[in-house]
Amino acid sequence: MREALRAVDVTVRFGGLVALDGVEVVLREGEILGLIGPNGAGKSTLFNALTGYVPLERGRVLFFGQDVTHLPAHARARMGMGRTFQIERPFAELTVLENVLIPAFLHTQDRHKAEQVARALLDRVELGDRALQPAGDLNLARRRRLELARALAVRPRVLFCDEVMAGLTPPAQQEMVTLLRGLSADGIAIVVVEHIMRVIMQLSDHVVVLAAGQKIAEGRPQEVAEDPRVIEAYLGAAVA
Amino acid sequence: MRPAEVIPQPAAFAVDRVLGWAAGCGVLVGIALLPQLLPGYLNLGIALLVLVGWATAWDVLGGWTGQVSLGHAAFVGLGAYTLGLGANTYRMPPWVSAPVAVLLAVGLAWAWGRVTFRLRGPYFTLSTIAVAEILRLGAINERWLTGGGEGIFVRELARPLGLDLFDRHVQYYWALLYAACAVALVAYLAPRRFGYQMRAVREDEEAAQAAGVDPVAVKLRAFMLSAGLVAFGGVLYGAYLSALVPHALFDLRLSVQIALTAIIGGRGTVWGPAVGAVLIVLAAELFRNLFASANLLIYGLLIVLVVLFAPRGIVGQWERWRVRRRYARSVAGR
Repeated sequence: MREALRAVDVTVRFGGLVALDGVEVVLREGEILGLIGPNGAGKSTLFNALTGYVPLERGRVLFFGQDVTHLPAHARARMGMGRTFQIERPFAELTVLENVLIPAFLHTQDRHKAEQVARALLDRVELGDRALQPAGDLNLARRRRLELARALAVRPRVLFCDEVMAGLTPPAQQEMVTLLRGLSADGIAIVVVEHIMRVIMQLSDHVVVLAAGQKIAEGRPQEVAEDPRVIEAYLGAAVA
Repeated sequence: MRPAEVIPQPAAFAVDRVLGWAAGCGVLVGIALLPQLLPGYLNLGIALLVLVGWATAWDVLGGWTGQVSLGHAAFVGLGAYTLGLGANTYRMPPWVSAPVAVLLAVGLAWAWGRVTFRLRGPYFTLSTIAVAEILRLGAINERWLTGGGEGIFVRELARPLGLDLFDRHVQYYWALLYAACAVALVAYLAPRRFGYQMRAVREDEEAAQAAGVDPVAVKLRAFMLSAGLVAFGGVLYGAYLSALVPHALFDLRLSVQIALTAIIGGRGTVWGPAVGAVLIVLAAELFRNLFASANLLIYGLLIVLVVLFAPRGIVGQWERWRVRRRYARSVAGR
């Protein structure tokens, strides 16, 4: 399997605060990488740094071997980086279908073709029957699925899912797990940020643990869960 | 996979669409015959149609792309002065000065957008006021070029196809063609890729980027298109006025009027700016007899009414209702 994404020494600073400090991540095609860590660990910042929403102070981002460190977010999206937002951002005035149409237009000028792609994706996230609803009227769980459909419409080779499970019922979470597994079987590399441990342990091939902007552990889900440093980061030194 | 029933019943929309187009065409035919039917209202008709064109052009940037400009009078003035100075100083025929004016406006929009579109929020709007003011002061002070504060008088225009461009009838059909082209252009863009890219940028620039849309490039293109279209109307307006003074052509009030026309009619809709123009011009004409020079009062009143009862503008509100109804039907069909 080819290497899809590599983050080298990624460092991000917000004023005096070092949000990410020398983080290294490697991701292969078809692999699902879980990104965990306590609140404020820098998970979302790492997402934003990798997808081009936050400038790096130091370090590089390689996408299929190509240096994309200085490319803007929209250029990275066109190369095949799909992302969702933690706080979902639908184009509220547009319909659900039109929301997915916009990224689908990336690969075709033809409205009909774009609409076919968009409808197929909406069916895949089970929003097909809401295609004509204004996106601003969707509830939270459906907005999350719309985020995912939009991210998929850019035809991602690497997909970044920022808490797509939050607010979903356990059965809906299970459906999402199945969906993501299917995508990874298609060869898409996936990075998942999630708070729900059960889900991330079940879903990920590989887990990276961040705490206070640094990578403190990584490995198979089971190894990581038993790592004393991880337990300490989550529960405090006394327990460990 | 879901069966085909998801696709809404085409018949339901077709009626809608046919009615819409029929109404639109009916209005257009009525407008086309106005010089014969109501010759006394020729001047009003020209002013109305030019405003339709300007507001529609403004809306490409202000409504569809969400970048509110209060400086579009700059392009009106640019167009009118290009015609006037071109004819007086360089003996430039109007079919040359019109494309020159459009190119100048597109160039100005490009340079101006390059500088300001990296800013977000109200900064662009503030800059638009500044640029129009700079042009106005330039037109007043650069006497050698523009004739200064007293302005210039367009004495003579070459006749394209033998048409006298000072003739009100000719101007009327010119304005009609202009307004129709502006609306047609927006109707063409709306369902296509660029139309959706503009809306994506308006709704959320960061989410647009995630969809592979370059917000700065889209805003620039929308601005250049908008500016060029307004300038073409400015050329026509120059022939209509034939006495060009900076105070009238680069006026902030003109910029505000263009913006409000689109906002009242419905931002980001194909027919909204046109409806807004009809409403504003007819209301002003109607009330002029009742309360002298009460234009500002009417604007104020219209804005309050729109903000209270139709914050998306008249056509905007209607569109919203139509989208909701269409969705309700698509659900009820199952």
